[in-house]
Amino acid sequence: MDTVYYLIQNMLPVAMPLLLVALGGMFSEIGGIVNIALEGIMLFGAFFATLFVYFVQDLGLSPQTVLLLGMLIAAAAGLIYSLLLSFAAVTMKADQVITGTSLNMLIPAVILLVSKMFFMSDGITTNMNFYIKEFPVLGKIPILGKMFFQRTYLTVFISLVFLIIAIIIFYKTKFGLRLRACGEHPQAADSVGINVTKMRYLGTSLSGIFGGIGGFFYCVGVMDGNVNGHTGVAGFGFLALAVMIFGQWKPIKIFFASLFFAFLRTLAYSVSLIPFLYNLGINQNYYKMMPYLATMIVLAFTSKKSRAPKAEGVPYDKAQR
Amino acid sequence: MENYIIEMLNITKKFPGIIANDNITLKLKKGEIHALLGENGAGKSTLMSVLFGLYQAEEGEIRKNGQVVKINNPNDANELGIGMVHQHFKLVEIFTVLENIILGVEPNTAGFLKKKEAREKVINLSEKYGLRVDPDELIEDITVGMQQRVEILKMLYRDNEILIFDEPTAVLTPQEIKEILQIMRDFAEEGKSILFITHKLNEIMEVADRCTVLRKGKCMGTVNINETSKEELSRMMVGRNITFSVHKDEVKTGDVTLSVKNLTVASKTHKNNAVKNVSFDVRGGEILCIAGIDGNGQTEFVNALTGLDKVSSGAIKLCGEDITKSSIRRRSILGMSHIPEDRHKYGLVLDYKLGQNLVLQRYWQKDFQKSGFIKFDAVREYAEKLIDEFDIRSSQGPDTIARSMSGGNQQKAIVAREIDKEPELLVAVQPTRGLDVGAIEYVHKQLVARRDAGKAVLLVSLELDEVMDVSDRILVMYEGEIVGELDPKIATVEELGLYMSGAKRDVVKEINDGGK
Amino acid sequence: MGENNQVVKNKFNLKRITHSKGFSSLTSALIAILLGLLFGLIVMIFAKPDSAWAGFKFIVLGGFKRIGDVFYFATPILMTGLSVGFAYKIGLFNIGASGQYTMGMFFALYVGFMFDLPGNSHWIVAVLAGMLGGMLWGFIPGFFKAFLNVNEVITSIMFNYIGMYLVDMWVQGSSVMYVATKTRTNYLPTDVQIPSLGIKGSNVNYGIVLAIAIGIILYIVLEKTTFGYELKATGYNKFASEYAGMKGKRNTIITMLIAGGLAGLGGAFAILAPSGIAGSSMTYEPINIIAPAGFNGIAVALLGNSHPIGTIFSSIFISHIQRGGTLASLVGFKPEIIDVVISVIIYFSAFAAIVSTAFGGIIKKFVGKKKIDDNSKHNINEDSLVEKSDNNIKGAE
Repeated sequence: MDTVYYLIQNMLPVAMPLLLVALGGMFSEIGGIVNIALEGIMLFGAFFATLFVYFVQDLGLSPQTVLLLGMLIAAAAGLIYSLLLSFAAVTMKADQVITGTSLNMLIPAVILLVSKMFFMSDGITTNMNFYIKEFPVLGKIPILGKMFFQRTYLTVFISLVFLIIAIIIFYKTKFGLRLRACGEHPQAADSVGINVTKMRYLGTSLSGIFGGIGGFFYCVGVMDGNVNGHTGVAGFGFLALAVMIFGQWKPIKIFFASLFFAFLRTLAYSVSLIPFLYNLGINQNYYKMMPYLATMIVLAFTSKKSRAPKAEGVPYDKAQR
Repeated sequence: MENYIIEMLNITKKFPGIIANDNITLKLKKGEIHALLGENGAGKSTLMSVLFGLYQAEEGEIRKNGQVVKINNPNDANELGIGMVHQHFKLVEIFTVLENIILGVEPNTAGFLKKKEAREKVINLSEKYGLRVDPDELIEDITVGMQQRVEILKMLYRDNEILIFDEPTAVLTPQEIKEILQIMRDFAEEGKSILFITHKLNEIMEVADRCTVLRKGKCMGTVNINETSKEELSRMMVGRNITFSVHKDEVKTGDVTLSVKNLTVASKTHKNNAVKNVSFDVRGGEILCIAGIDGNGQTEFVNALTGLDKVSSGAIKLCGEDITKSSIRRRSILGMSHIPEDRHKYGLVLDYKLGQNLVLQRYWQKDFQKSGFIKFDAVREYAEKLIDEFDIRSSQGPDTIARSMSGGNQQKAIVAREIDKEPELLVAVQPTRGLDVGAIEYVHKQLVARRDAGKAVLLVSLELDEVMDVSDRILVMYEGEIVGELDPKIATVEELGLYMSGAKRDVVKEINDGGK
Repeated sequence: MGENNQVVKNKFNLKRITHSKGFSSLTSALIAILLGLLFGLIVMIFAKPDSAWAGFKFIVLGGFKRIGDVFYFATPILMTGLSVGFAYKIGLFNIGASGQYTMGMFFALYVGFMFDLPGNSHWIVAVLAGMLGGMLWGFIPGFFKAFLNVNEVITSIMFNYIGMYLVDMWVQGSSVMYVATKTRTNYLPTDVQIPSLGIKGSNVNYGIVLAIAIGIILYIVLEKTTFGYELKATGYNKFASEYAGMKGKRNTIITMLIAGGLAGLGGAFAILAPSGIAGSSMTYEPINIIAPAGFNGIAVALLGNSHPIGTIFSSIFISHIQRGGTLASLVGFKPEIIDVVISVIIYFSAFAAIVSTAFGGIIKKFVGKKKIDDNSKHNINEDSLVEKSDNNIKGAE
């Protein structure tokens, strides 16, 4: 039972960045823009938020306050970075995959450059502790308390709020309906007076906000509040893309897909604590490959049937109607 | 002085290198049905797009009730009460009927949708005008006719009073065409004003009050329908008399070229089979036409026949050889040519030069390559020969990038390539779609020439006139089945329509089905 | 490509030139490079205003003092560039060149350490092994794309990670290859090292000669053979190529095999190269980092407009500024500045064509206005009248 508690406690902080970033990817893609730059957006958000934490960590603010403020910084940073994608992909009608790749390459280089020049290291290391040992009252609930309200991070609960917001935007709002129309059939959207350019900018911007926050939550929940230019976010942006495809571009399915991937990853990194797996004596590196291999297996089985937004990846050309 | 609800005065709209509308004036009276006639490419759609705010004209002005108005986008048009049913429906397939109708004018409080209210309004409208639809069905699940009703409801939902119909009858059965024309009449009686874009003269004569004719971007004038004739309209449209029929000699059929037995093809979009147990033969020296409304399995059938998709069961024989599972290349070698439905998607590599496109089916033959290296001189020579023989016009001959050619000449290139292969069987799918009258005549002549040469032609067409004029034998496909065989010399268009809509099917066929 | 220029026998026809594909890709590459360098300069000014200009001069000019090294380091990225560019011509985005490169490197290392072959055959076999390793890693995304409909971008990225973890594990697991105390691989025996060209002060070797030769062969394959005709047709329009009886799935896999092989060769050329200290070779550090050579290959390919010959020049250029970036550390900058410049170059390359069309349009306005007697233009006008309506049909479907 302890192992189960342990796995769940460790899985959720890993699942949440995946969830947020995949939701971000979803908002971009249902508007018609392939966002392969999620990795870069995450890192950009994480970098500025961590920089912020680095500068305020000695001011005596409560960690959870710093977390919330950092989240806002990460959201703003992610938004700004995503505008580079929107500009190239929407305004300049550039190849979305190439643009995204360049944005992914740029940010680790910038982090390394800045960190090496000003911090004499490969990244930024903070010593703020965001960990919550036990929630008052809630943590005392039998079983559930231990599963969800002990040894966890605030990020888990914030992310669930974001999930609910995403579901509402997707299904219940005018904005969601219009955004999806732009990703499916931009000509139709245009013909009823919807500004496709504007909607696509908004969709990508939402993905910037979600992606930036997701990046910061990755640093909090997975990296103990640090950011590093070499390892970046370890392909989480790309895993999030896989989660999004696995989740069929639908928020609730994406939620379950992110839990699935997070579980695998947690399992991979907890091998030494699970006697059965440990005794198998398999090289740790194999477990590290697991999330990536699992992604491939899942995609191999789901891709034939998957239905991406129809106009995804195609720049909208007003003259071609 | 007459009262016009809409006046488009001296409209000029240019695209890079072309004048799509050259000083066109069109005046619409309140409560009239005003036809806009012209060939493909005459500038009808451009003019209507200007009125609907999708394009902005460089010169000229638009007036509503005598007041000059600016229409910069569809929202402006909507506010002026102008609505449009587009030729190719602008519907989001994965949305429901209701979602499509409200898209762009969603009733909401603080951004949250209020679908209940919208649903009531839609149901009321559909009852009032007899436009039967289920608001909760997905667009991808409903028929083309229903999709058109959704488009009409979109206009009504927006309380539009000036309704533009862009080629609304192109995809409908004769019966459905009657319905839509009646609906247009009802609207006009109610005081709505209608602009009816078409190139079908019969429909204009039947329903319109007045007609404005465009040719090559220029306005040829506006006439009252009760003072004109079909012949006069066609002269205005094309600039010469059109021969309405295709000249053909008597059929001299030869051996069976293509034999299809119990062919069944699975659908990619739904669980049912797209093509169900289809059997027929095509002989040398005849043009067999498969007629039907779009989406009744024709595309899937052609894909299976030509090897683009897999067959679920059944057999296909070409010139005696079983090709059910053969590769596309093998079918080609055996003598199958294919003029595809979508020339941009399948027929051409648009970024290749014309010369490269003309050898697309034979670049691998000995004439054009030696141990893997392309014989560029041979390719050029061959391309020049085809360009000459088939009168393919382009700016730089074989070096022209296919994308830069006109649609008609692109189609000519495909026809040339497929016919010069001297196929035993020519599969031509909607070979005249989007072409002007001259090009249509040309393609029809080529099809007949193949037939007269004793080869088999399988024509798949949605155009009723084409079906009736060109073919020697007609099979009607409905929901993936062959429901009837007609002789175009005896059958009427109405009869054909009954088969196409599924209202009638042959007993012969049912016996066949029962005996399987 | 460029053929337009040959057809016209005029001595100098600026309009033809500004219209030609080659011109437009050259100007777009130059615009992207200028913007990338400008951005780099701005970053440098922000970071260290005092030495920014000195550092920038090193980046732009430094490479000229080390031409041998420029070619030496151009070799691997030329190969990954060819790999990415080749796949791109066929419509595939091979972001997996990194993984293929790493695999190729490992295979070459393995043959280098574990096999004992006589004389020159040893390095040749090692190079071929590298190619094989890359092909293996290129095959996987090709297979997934062709038969399972999985986007090659995702597969490539995942297999970049998987390949990296695998190679790191294999290297660390071998006591022959790995020197644990120095966290790097051992020096390879000299007979496995690619022979040096013998240019003074540099280890530039036959790798670059082979790489350039491969680039030229690729050009011939793409432009002159039926195989290239098929592959490009598939890249431009996979539906039409299938309609014409070409085997799209097979071609996808072959393309990825070739692309993988090219990247794998890059890895082999890199690791089998002699290094600065006499008798030593290049080494590999298994520190769980994805090889940057693959990503630099994307920049190289894009700058070279995916054209094999263009890629040769762009790889030399990228290598040139990389050398400059190393030298910029003399005035306190870190070499990462070059990665920043390169990513900005890629960003702008993605839409520089549009910018350069506008740029070409300006030139045309100045020159072309006076010439109205252009017959071909008139032709196009009439044609495109119909074309417009045709586009309508296509766009709406």
